[in-house]
Amino acid sequence: MGKFQLTKGTSAYTIYKWAGIVLLLLIVFIAAFAFNDTGKISVLDNDYKIGLTRITKAISFMVAILGLQVVAGFTGQLSLGQGFFFGTGAYMSAYLVADHQWPWFLTLVVVVPACFVMGLLFGIPALKIKGLYLALVTLGLAAIFPSLILLDVLEPYTNGAAGKIVDSDLLPPEWMPLDGISTGLQRIPLVGRYFGDGDLSNKQEQRIWTFFLMAILAAICFKMVSNLVSSRPGRAIRAVRDNETSAAVNGIGLSYHKTMSFGVASALGGVGGMIYVAELGIASQGDFTQLLSILFIVGLVVGGVGTLSGAVIGGLVIAFVPEWASSTQNLPGVPERWLDGPTGGFILGIGLIVLTFVLPGGIISGVRKLKARVVQVLPAPIPLPEAASVET
Amino acid sequence: MDLFLQRIFDGLSNGATYALLAMALVMIFKATTLINFAQGEFAMFGGFIVLVLATEQGIPMWGAVVLGMLISAVLAAVIERTLIRPFDPADHLPLVIITLGLFLAINAIAGIVWRFDPRAFPELFPSGKAFNIAGATLSWYTIFTLITILVVAGGLTLLLNKTKIGLAFRAVSSNLESSELAGIKVGPTLQFGWAIAAAVGTLGVAVFVASPFRQLEPQVMVTGLIFAVSAAALGGLDSLGGAILGGLAIGLVQSIAVPYLGVPTELSLLAAVVVLLLVLLFKPSGLFGTPQVERV
Repeated sequence: MGKFQLTKGTSAYTIYKWAGIVLLLLIVFIAAFAFNDTGKISVLDNDYKIGLTRITKAISFMVAILGLQVVAGFTGQLSLGQGFFFGTGAYMSAYLVADHQWPWFLTLVVVVPACFVMGLLFGIPALKIKGLYLALVTLGLAAIFPSLILLDVLEPYTNGAAGKIVDSDLLPPEWMPLDGISTGLQRIPLVGRYFGDGDLSNKQEQRIWTFFLMAILAAICFKMVSNLVSSRPGRAIRAVRDNETSAAVNGIGLSYHKTMSFGVASALGGVGGMIYVAELGIASQGDFTQLLSILFIVGLVVGGVGTLSGAVIGGLVIAFVPEWASSTQNLPGVPERWLDGPTGGFILGIGLIVLTFVLPGGIISGVRKLKARVVQVLPAPIPLPEAASVET
Repeated sequence: MDLFLQRIFDGLSNGATYALLAMALVMIFKATTLINFAQGEFAMFGGFIVLVLATEQGIPMWGAVVLGMLISAVLAAVIERTLIRPFDPADHLPLVIITLGLFLAINAIAGIVWRFDPRAFPELFPSGKAFNIAGATLSWYTIFTLITILVVAGGLTLLLNKTKIGLAFRAVSSNLESSELAGIKVGPTLQFGWAIAAAVGTLGVAVFVASPFRQLEPQVMVTGLIFAVSAAALGGLDSLGGAILGGLAIGLVQSIAVPYLGVPTELSLLAAVVVLLLVLLFKPSGLFGTPQVERV
């Protein structure tokens, strides 16, 4: 098989890059209209749903895992407490929207700084606590979140065990021709039937709109983290991850970079929580247990530690695998008795172990290996230095 | 006064379980400086094995406990051989990921096989109250849990100090490379540590749910692990005696400090996390642990 060779900086490479971006946008766009609420795949009499609400949920996980990438993937501080900040963000924006009628996106003005500061506060102990101990403390943090929510003091704000219900929807503005686009897509010959039937209901329009907005928000978060990682502080945190001592010797402030990366990670966790609750419409303490934090780690590792696209895959995996596992009701050779129950946790746990053995870089490293067989990107040629004028 | 004493007794019986689980964590940490995040789930699984042996196979209770401990030890040894040993013991990240994967998988298996409804556990100790001291009742359960941890601690001490494999285990935990050079088979020795830890954890859960006020269900050790971890950290992560004192101390904090400070009961877990945080911040080696020297 011949390889396509592309050199960075040439127009062919630019086209290749833009083709990728356009393809991604196209997938997002099609997903929004095709998988609105009826999308499902049937394999062996099992229906696997691909509803848009699940994809939006996956986006919320992606942003939270993106935060973990910053602190665990790039700075090397294993934090098992991301669920705490996810939950905090979810409850804060639920409270502001439900009780103070704030628009969803305005809540970020409070959620982001609040989670950032909380993350900084937790980054401070992390300066002294390293490695495994940090994992322990942050796991404890994640474990206490549900009981904090049940506290009598917080009851007026969190609505205790019943969960905080928010019935404020993100409605598309009048000028948005979602309905028209949908009708247009349905008229396309051959593929039109995959885009549903007839006009969009209000509920569907609202789902599509929420999905678009959250996808844009997530894209902004990814762009910001990508800029951060390739900038000076990004190089600094990677140096901290690879060798703390030599980073310190090279003049990198360890405490500053570690606490800041905790802050950034926690802020992203909060944003993820806001997306989650905006989609789901209810924040309940049972969703934000330490299990969620462990699932985020699963997403981080399964996607690929220290990669941004890994966060996308990780988010999809932890949003869909448990759902699909529980909707698997028929498997030849497996008694029905064993398909009932927390099969999703089983698959994720086993998948985590298997991946650690066969593909330690996560799914994304496998994808990259496959891609490298087809496309080869060469670095831009370094301009040869002009003939050195050696003074004699 | 009677209420105070009563709370001390309650705290001691809770603490005994944390102490047993903490000892299991310490056994693995001593050898590999690894924390097994799945330790609580190992123990829960062992507890279910004991339950099945006792109720479905009709084995007498203590026989079932011993058999359950043996089975979980064998399972842990198999897991160590297949999933843990292939990795470099000095590189913690993949190992932590593996134990987290085990946590999810074992919890799910227990949920699939035994469902999530709580099950009553057969009596392990005589029920009822033993003594009345100044108005507080000291139940047989409390007395026997305390005896159990003393027996386990004694047994482990004998095992580590008087047997050949114990000697090898101590050598490996003190210096892995030198002991390898001295001809000790490091792999099987660590495997021994994992097996013992699983057996002790199983006993811990059996004792925990043998209380007339508790039942066995797959989530039983999810928060129990946090208590055990802070108990182990308080005592010093590499000290068995420290684990006992740490466990009892955490149990007492939970039952005394929490009500007297007016902290709501939901936050007893927070107390454990705060203890863990404070210990790691100000005395990372714990009360009885060996301080770790970091070399560059």
